[in-house]
Amino acid sequence: MQSDASFDRRPGRRVPLAGAAVVLGLVTLTGTVAGCGYNDLQGLDEDTKAAWSEVVNQYQRRADLIPNLVETVKGYAAHEKETLESVVAARSKATGVSVTPDTLKDPESFRQYQEAQAGLTGALGRLLAIAENYPNLKADQNFRDLQSQLEGTENRIAVARKRYIERVAEYNKAVRFFPTNLTARFLLGLQERPNFTVADEKAIAKPPEVKF
Amino acid sequence: MGRASRPGWGLFAVVVLVLSILVPPAGALDVPPLTGRVVDLAGALPSSVRERLADTLAEHERTTGNQVAVLIVPSLEGEDLFTFSHRVATTWRLGEKGTDNGALLLVALKDRKIRIEVGYGLEGALTDARSSQIIRHAIAPRFRAGDIPGGVTAGVEAILQSIAGTYEAPTPAQPAADHAGRVIDVLFAVMLGTVIGLVVSGFHRRLGPLVGGALSFLAAPWVLPALLSGGIALAIVAWLRYRLDEVPSPTRRGRGGRRTLDDGWWYTTNGGGWSSDGYAGGGDLGFSGGGGDFGGGGASGDW
Repeated sequence: MQSDASFDRRPGRRVPLAGAAVVLGLVTLTGTVAGCGYNDLQGLDEDTKAAWSEVVNQYQRRADLIPNLVETVKGYAAHEKETLESVVAARSKATGVSVTPDTLKDPESFRQYQEAQAGLTGALGRLLAIAENYPNLKADQNFRDLQSQLEGTENRIAVARKRYIERVAEYNKAVRFFPTNLTARFLLGLQERPNFTVADEKAIAKPPEVKF
Repeated sequence: MGRASRPGWGLFAVVVLVLSILVPPAGALDVPPLTGRVVDLAGALPSSVRERLADTLAEHERTTGNQVAVLIVPSLEGEDLFTFSHRVATTWRLGEKGTDNGALLLVALKDRKIRIEVGYGLEGALTDARSSQIIRHAIAPRFRAGDIPGGVTAGVEAILQSIAGTYEAPTPAQPAADHAGRVIDVLFAVMLGTVIGLVVSGFHRRLGPLVGGALSFLAAPWVLPALLSGGIALAIVAWLRYRLDEVPSPTRRGRGGRRTLDDGWWYTTNGGGWSSDGYAGGGDLGFSGGGGDFGGGGASGDW
């Protein structure tokens, strides 16, 4: 064994170095492919689209609840015409603006969508505020169920928005950071995506103060 | 020393490791640790009631797989009810991953607020309207009468009734691995093991494949890919050495393969003693969330 080993030493030393060089080259290559973030970017792109679909889904769910809600309120407070009509108008405006995952890149249509939805949030807030003035309406089981559904949907929208905000932040980072920004720009043509602005939503959605 | 049980322990160690990295950042009001199915930080429940509730909830999980927990806090300390409740539910990860069949009953005593937080998978059975009814009819009246234990018990019973039969009790399964990113990790582990193995084999012929194999075993994530990449790296180094030396040595592969497992032994038996995957068995000890997600379903109320 001893002599065997020393006999091997000469060729053994030279060739592993060459082998190591080849393997090292392969490592660098895989490192480059993994490091350029191609897969990561594609994954993040899909994640933001999925998160966006959930946002749209929940806003749609809210819009679906409104006709029923308006009918129920009408039964007790038909003369609150103005508020009821503003809700219906805001709803049709909100459902009229659609943002598909592909038009997500466009900050302008994104802003329009957000404004329309915030307008509906505001109109709904006003409707629920006037409902406080009608004890019979407040005691109505159907109305209470609808109210809880609406509240649950608003919560779901909040969660979906929060998750979208997180996804987009992650995606935008990848699109801007080096070296993944090179892959994003030259290989995939991906751009930064607009994100929700909490301040706008709060300002538009704020229900008017009710004073007696 | 059953060798067959080792991959299970290894998986365990990895899960523990990953969970310890994923500890969520502290918020305005800290999410209390999940010490059991009934977490009573306000001391509102007598221990007999608490234990009975925990048993009921454990039994319910055993038969249906649904994970329901109760949290009573003295105060929200100014935080929004839904924000806190959602943060607790998602931090505790009640319900199974994928099925999301978890629910949380949260009571804030000083704020006189109640919330039922419902996981995605139970939203169909425990709808917002149903949750709201449970709060208004089962819980709030008893709370108003000062009967906190009675209200909580009635609420839990109503919740369990609503969601019983939604799911069959699942057979405890290993969490599905995400295969996509793992291939690259395995490749990397193999490369690393091969390079180091070759370098080492420049100094010591037999040690090379062993070190290479062991290294890529340790570098690879998860146990199965680890065994795979360990084996591949070992084979590559051994084969290269074999070709380069032109000295056949069949014992290398066999011995090396066994040794790789042995080298990984310390690593794979390093796991802790608690389950991170629900199904802690009977009782309330070692209860933890199964990875369920919450999307904002449920209802809030007050008394």
